[in-house]
Amino acid sequence: MAELDHWHPALKSEELRARPVGVTVAGRELVLFRAGGSVGCLPDRCPHRGMRLSLGTTEAGRLVCPYHGWSYAPDGQGRSPGTPTAKPCAEALETVERDGAVWVRRQGSSSRFPRWDHDGCYEVGRLRKTVHAPLEVTLDNFTEVEHTPFLHAFLGYNPEDLASLECRVTTEDDRVTVFNQGPQRPFPAPLGALYGVPRDADFIDHWTTFFSPVYTVYDQYWVDRETGERHPDALKIAVFFNPVSPEDTELFVFVHAVRPRWTSWRASPLLGALTRAFVHLEVMLDARMLGRLADRSTSLKGRSLGRFDKALVAHRPRIDALYRGAPR
Amino acid sequence: MDPATHTIVVGAGPAGLAVAAGLGSRGVPYTLLERSEDVGWSWRNHYERLHLHTVKQFSSLPGMRFPEHVGLYPSRDEVVAYLEAYARRFKVTPRLGEGVQRARREHGLWHVETDRGTHRAKNLVLATGYNRVPREVRWPGQEAFQGTVLHSREFRSGRPFQGKRVLVVGMGNTGGELALDLWESGATVALAVRSPRHVVPRDVYGIPAQVNSLFVLSRLPIALADRLSLRLLDRVVGDLAPYGLPRPSEGPLTQVVERGRIPLIDIGTIALVKQGKLPVLPPPERFTPTGVVHADGVERPWDAVLAATGYHPGLEELLEGASQVLNERGYPRVHGAESALPGLYFLGFRNPLTGQLHDIAREARRITAALGGA
Repeated sequence: MAELDHWHPALKSEELRARPVGVTVAGRELVLFRAGGSVGCLPDRCPHRGMRLSLGTTEAGRLVCPYHGWSYAPDGQGRSPGTPTAKPCAEALETVERDGAVWVRRQGSSSRFPRWDHDGCYEVGRLRKTVHAPLEVTLDNFTEVEHTPFLHAFLGYNPEDLASLECRVTTEDDRVTVFNQGPQRPFPAPLGALYGVPRDADFIDHWTTFFSPVYTVYDQYWVDRETGERHPDALKIAVFFNPVSPEDTELFVFVHAVRPRWTSWRASPLLGALTRAFVHLEVMLDARMLGRLADRSTSLKGRSLGRFDKALVAHRPRIDALYRGAPR
Repeated sequence: MDPATHTIVVGAGPAGLAVAAGLGSRGVPYTLLERSEDVGWSWRNHYERLHLHTVKQFSSLPGMRFPEHVGLYPSRDEVVAYLEAYARRFKVTPRLGEGVQRARREHGLWHVETDRGTHRAKNLVLATGYNRVPREVRWPGQEAFQGTVLHSREFRSGRPFQGKRVLVVGMGNTGGELALDLWESGATVALAVRSPRHVVPRDVYGIPAQVNSLFVLSRLPIALADRLSLRLLDRVVGDLAPYGLPRPSEGPLTQVVERGRIPLIDIGTIALVKQGKLPVLPPPERFTPTGVVHADGVERPWDAVLAATGYHPGLEELLEGASQVLNERGYPRVHGAESALPGLYFLGFRNPLTGQLHDIAREARRITAALGGA
C-alpha cells in the first residue's frame, strides 16, 4: 500500500463548512467540500484548465470551479456549462467523517480504519499543527521520553530520574509498543491539587505506534508507588503523523480523558479547557524544537543513539514497508 | 448422589454470581454449577470490541462497584476482570465444567442432572443467560454457497475479513456493531434488515440512553414515554427511511415491553449508514454459490454472510415442565421472583432499556432475600 491508501485525518469537522477547503495529504493537494450528508474530496486542480478548486464554491452538493464554472459531484463526475457535451472527470478520493475529523484515502483501498479505543471517554480536544521536520524525525520526538525533562513544561519525568527510568520496548509485525514508568515530575502545587495527582505517584506513559497510517496511541496515567493502584484519572491521546511534504509533517492530535465530566468536579469543563491548553503548549514546544534541528535527515545510520532510541530504530522498516509500501 | 442442599444456582455469569454471592453472605448453602471452565463465559466469548452499552455506575452487581479507573462504558475485558474479582471477593467457587442436562421437580426437591451426576436442592435458580443458544437461520441454497456463513457468536473481530465483501444479517445491537467493526477492518459491508427497529443513540446530548431510561422514561406511562422519545429521536436521529431503515409503527417502549424487542443502541453505525458506507439491503431470500438473492430479487455477490440473528435462552431443553413457566417466546413469565413451579427462580432473561446488569443486580437482591428467609 502507498501512503494515500491509508486513512488520514485531513480536517477537523468544524473546519469544513459551506466553503471548500484545500489540504495537503501525503504530498497531494486536495480539496474537500460538503455535499449533503457526506464530504467530497478531489484533487485541488480543475481537470479543465488547472484552476485551484478550493477557491471555488459549493452549490447544490457540487464543487464549482471559480475560473469557468465547471462543476464536480463528490464522485468526480463533472459538467461544463459552456460545453454540455464535455464529460470531465476528476479522480475522487474516499472520505468519511468520524471522531470529529474528516478522513480521506484513495478510492478502492481496503486499509483498516485507525480505531483506538476511546469508548466512553470524553473529548478534551483535537488539534492540528504543522511541524517543519520529516515524518520519521517528527515521530522520533513523539516516541521517546528522554526529551521530556528538558523540553516540556509539565509532561514527563525529572532529569535526575532519567537514568533509572523503566523503559520497555516490544515489537510486533505491525506495531511498536513502549512502556515508561518513573516518578511523576512535581506539578506546581495548585495544579497538582486541581488534577488530584498524588505527589509521590509514578507516571506511566504507555504507547503503541501503528503504521497504517502512522499514528501513536498513548495511555497516560498514574499509579501509587506503594500499592500499585491506579489513579482514576487518565488520558488517552492519539497522534497522527501526516506527511505534508518530504520536509514537513502535520500532527493531528485527539485527546480524550477517561473520567466522564459529570462524575467529579475535577473533570469539569474548566479543567477540560486547561488540559487542552497544556496539550497545545507541549505540542507547540515539540514543534519549535523540531524546527530548530541542524540535521533533518531521516536516517539513523551513523548517529550515536541512547537506550530510549530503540523504538526509533524499529519504526524505520515498518514505515517503509507498511506505510509506504516499499518491497521488503 | 450428593445430599440435598438449600439452593442450586445454574450459570456463573453475572446473574449466577450475584445470587451466589448474596446467598453466601447470608450463610445459605448453595451449589453453583457452570458448564464452562471459567466464570463469565459469555462475556469472555463476545467479540473483542464490545463495551457495555450501559454506564458502569448503573451496571455493577450487589456489593461491589467497578474500579474507579474503568471508563464510563466498561470494555469486554474490564467486565470479565470485574466478574473474576467479584467471584474472588465474595468467595464464590462454582463447580466448573459441570453442564446441566435436565432439571426436574420430584418429591418436593429439584433434581438437576449434570454431565457428572445429579444434584438435589429445595430451590433452583436458573441463570443460564439470555444468550445461551445462538438463533441459527438456514436459507435455501446455503449448502452450495462457496463463501463463509457464520453466526455472530463465532465472530471475534473483523480483521480476517479485510478486503472481503461481507453481508451482516440482522440489525440488533450485535449486527450494528459488527458491521461497524467489519467496515473499520477494511471490508466492504452491507446490512440486511429483516424488520424495522428503533434506533437510539447511546448518548443523547452527552447523556447516556440508560440514564434517560432509568430516570425519565421508565417513570412515565408507556404511551407518554413513547411520544416523548419519538420526538427526541426525530431531532437527534432523524428519518432513516431513505437509508432503508423505516421506523416501526409502535413506539420504542411498547416494543420493549410487549415484544421484548430492544432498539439498536447506536455507537456509530448510523453515522456510517448516513454516509453511504453501510448500505441497508432487503433480507436474504436464498443463496447462490457466489452470493445471495435478496428480497428485492437482486443477486449480490458476497464472500461471507454473518448472521447476527440473535440468541435464545433455550430453557425448554433444560427444564421439565417448562411450558408452565415460560411464555410463548420461550422466556420466563416471572422474573426475579418465585415462578409457578415451587422453588424455581429465573434471573437474567430480560434486557430492559434500563440495562440488563442493572436489572440483574436488583432482581438478585430480591431472590436472595426470598431464599435467605429475610
